Amino acid sequence: MRKILVPIKRVIDYAQKIRVDSSKGPQGVQLKNVKMSMNPFCEIAVEEAIQLKEKNKGAEVVAISVGPKQCTETIRTALAMGADRGIHIETKPDVRGDYVDLQPWAIASLLKGIVEKEDAVDLVLLGKQSIDSDCGQTGPLLAGLLNAPQATFAANIERGDDGSFTVERETDTVITCDLRLNTPRYPTMPNIMKAKKKPVDTISLEDMVKELGLDLDEVLTPQNEVVEVYEPPPRKEGETVGSIDELLGKLKEKGLVA
Amino acid sequence: MFSLTRRLSFGLRYTNVPSRRNESNSKKLRGPAAQDVSYFRSVLTRPSHGVLDGTASHDVKDEIDKKYNTDWTRHYKGSSDLVLRPQTTWEVSSILKYCNENHIGVTTQGGNTGLCGGATPISNEVVLSMEYMNRIYKLDEYSGVMTCDAGCILQSLHDYAEEKGFLFPLDIGSKGTCQIGGNVSTNAGGHHFFRFGGMHGTVVGMEVVLADGRVLRLNIDNSEDGNNERTHQFQQSSASLRKDNTGYDLKQLFIGGEGTLGIVTKVAVACPALPTSKNVALLVCNSYNDVLQILKTSKEELGEILSAIELIDSNTMNFIQKYGAGNGDHLMTELLSSETTSKQPLFILVETQGCNQESDFSKMDSFLTSLYESSTIENGFLAQDSKQIEEIWGLREACNPSVAQAGYVHKFDVSIGIESYMEVAEEVSDALKKSNLPDLTVCCWGHVADGNAHINIISGKFDGDVNEAEAIENIVYSSVMKRKGSISAEHGIGQSKRKYIGQTKDEAVLELMSQVKNLFDPNFILNPGKYLP
Repeated sequence: MRKILVPIKRVIDYAQKIRVDSSKGPQGVQLKNVKMSMNPFCEIAVEEAIQLKEKNKGAEVVAISVGPKQCTETIRTALAMGADRGIHIETKPDVRGDYVDLQPWAIASLLKGIVEKEDAVDLVLLGKQSIDSDCGQTGPLLAGLLNAPQATFAANIERGDDGSFTVERETDTVITCDLRLNTPRYPTMPNIMKAKKKPVDTISLEDMVKELGLDLDEVLTPQNEVVEVYEPPPRKEGETVGSIDELLGKLKEKGLVA
Repeated sequence: MFSLTRRLSFGLRYTNVPSRRNESNSKKLRGPAAQDVSYFRSVLTRPSHGVLDGTASHDVKDEIDKKYNTDWTRHYKGSSDLVLRPQTTWEVSSILKYCNENHIGVTTQGGNTGLCGGATPISNEVVLSMEYMNRIYKLDEYSGVMTCDAGCILQSLHDYAEEKGFLFPLDIGSKGTCQIGGNVSTNAGGHHFFRFGGMHGTVVGMEVVLADGRVLRLNIDNSEDGNNERTHQFQQSSASLRKDNTGYDLKQLFIGGEGTLGIVTKVAVACPALPTSKNVALLVCNSYNDVLQILKTSKEELGEILSAIELIDSNTMNFIQKYGAGNGDHLMTELLSSETTSKQPLFILVETQGCNQESDFSKMDSFLTSLYESSTIENGFLAQDSKQIEEIWGLREACNPSVAQAGYVHKFDVSIGIESYMEVAEEVSDALKKSNLPDLTVCCWGHVADGNAHINIISGKFDGDVNEAEAIENIVYSSVMKRKGSISAEHGIGQSKRKYIGQTKDEAVLELMSQVKNLFDPNFILNPGKYLP
């Protein structure tokens, strides 16, 4: 195995409560001072890439991220887990990665260009979906653009042999990863120290687009328009009843019991 | 059987503490009788739920025994036949007034998670459970002061505060079960004592019912009290202000008073803003000298964002691996396979909380780098996301439950100078090896930055031999007292540490504490048999 590419995304941490001011439309999502982390499914993809690398000497794991300058932190985490190199496609700070501006089609187009540019890429591992836009489209779109075999929602990947799911040694294969695949490791001190020395190439979105011969407008103009953003309606308070008879009465009232 | 205490000469005196008034007064107390139960039924708004009469049926008696007559450690057993569960302050007031007039002992109980038997009746006192007084009234979005009933479960206060962008300043392992009234009454410390201080500072107001039924409102807003027809009897007091220097601060007596001076029914707690950036790292080092270096470096490099530093020793970590890890299995494997020169490495949890993720992360990064480059730590695990943060804290919170499954636990919670923190555990370990007490493992974990060590000595057998317990206590306490430490840093006195208070306080102090008790509770009905010697 030669190169494994792992696109990763910096998103709002999964445990954060998302606050939305619905009067502001798509701009109403509170992003300021909110904890950001690597998308959990991307973490699993990184872990899987490193496990595959450990089983196949000489493989190189490259982490890629499209986003604002803080993405370098996310790439560093991937490097601290064991990735060899990083590529950061830096976007301007106001460009939103959560479906409002950049959407799967644009990302997949960029990734296609990078896969071809890198050459010798045997496998692209992505998380099955990002937890902000929840599209699950980037992987399949990329596979389509590359005309590569794909397997989504992978819960187990075995290389080389028998049953479950096997990645044949074809070039440009795309796999998206699901929860049960593995448990991402912690970045440990020795690896955190090594990660600081690993190279990360930064290139602006505009330059990348030019290099790949894509159209900047096409990349930045979303295919779909976000019309409205709102919080799910709050859970209604329950009613307390004083007795079993009252409970039966209420259930009958609501037509839940004959 | 020869006395083990005589063989060990650490100079600990078990002198006969001169009998104080509490002893003779408490003999005049009685348990509740049938006519008392009828009275209580008449003052409770929901008597069907509010009165558990053990004399009425075996099922009720069973429920009382399992839930109210035993404590979490299962070391203490009471024999109460009556549990009262009021819903309003007025009910508490009526109950206490009646008990005071009739010399009936009352033990207040919250979540029943205490570790000194303070909430367990010593015989057949009435148990007054606060579990139904659990309303949250409000959280002032400018001052951060949250006002709620004493029976609120701590976790629910955390959840409510988080909704509004605030952090409840007290965090302990039992937060899913313990109640804030109990926390206040025991002056609970917890993981964030280092950052936010204790309850003496964070509690800005409270409502408390005295033994004679009088209700004191100390800097607390009472406008939401459900029972409006009664409130006109009470003066309108100041409303949960952050600062109020008008008179003796009486509420401080009830904080840590363990229910012996009055029953806390409502509290007002000042909550800081919820930090948006949290970082947690678990460090592995070889010796306590390294830990001291970590403490120093953390103050320099992390400064104002440092929110918690906790220590776990190898013996404890091994028990967690055996009985506790659960979700943290993966972390545990990676942790215990760290290469260390010492066979007994120490594990340190460091947490930062701040409001700027980038600058906090960069501080944490430079902190870890400087520790690693100076070989102060052998290894470190930095949590990448919330899931890993919870896993690391999960290990720390598994300390207590894990050792509890390993055998009979002799629990100690002591305060020592930070420099000598591990010395007590080491000295005790050596002394136990030399004594002929077999099969004991000394575990040490705790809030190292506060100098607070939880020393737990696990015995392989489950039976809890009294002589063994006394011998171990002797060894531990003399080791602590010769270093001028405290024999109860945060767990309190309850039943388990009463006799030591007599030896660790000056005569004048004991005399005054006794007079205070006499002033607030002259008939000694509140939590008899506890606290003061």
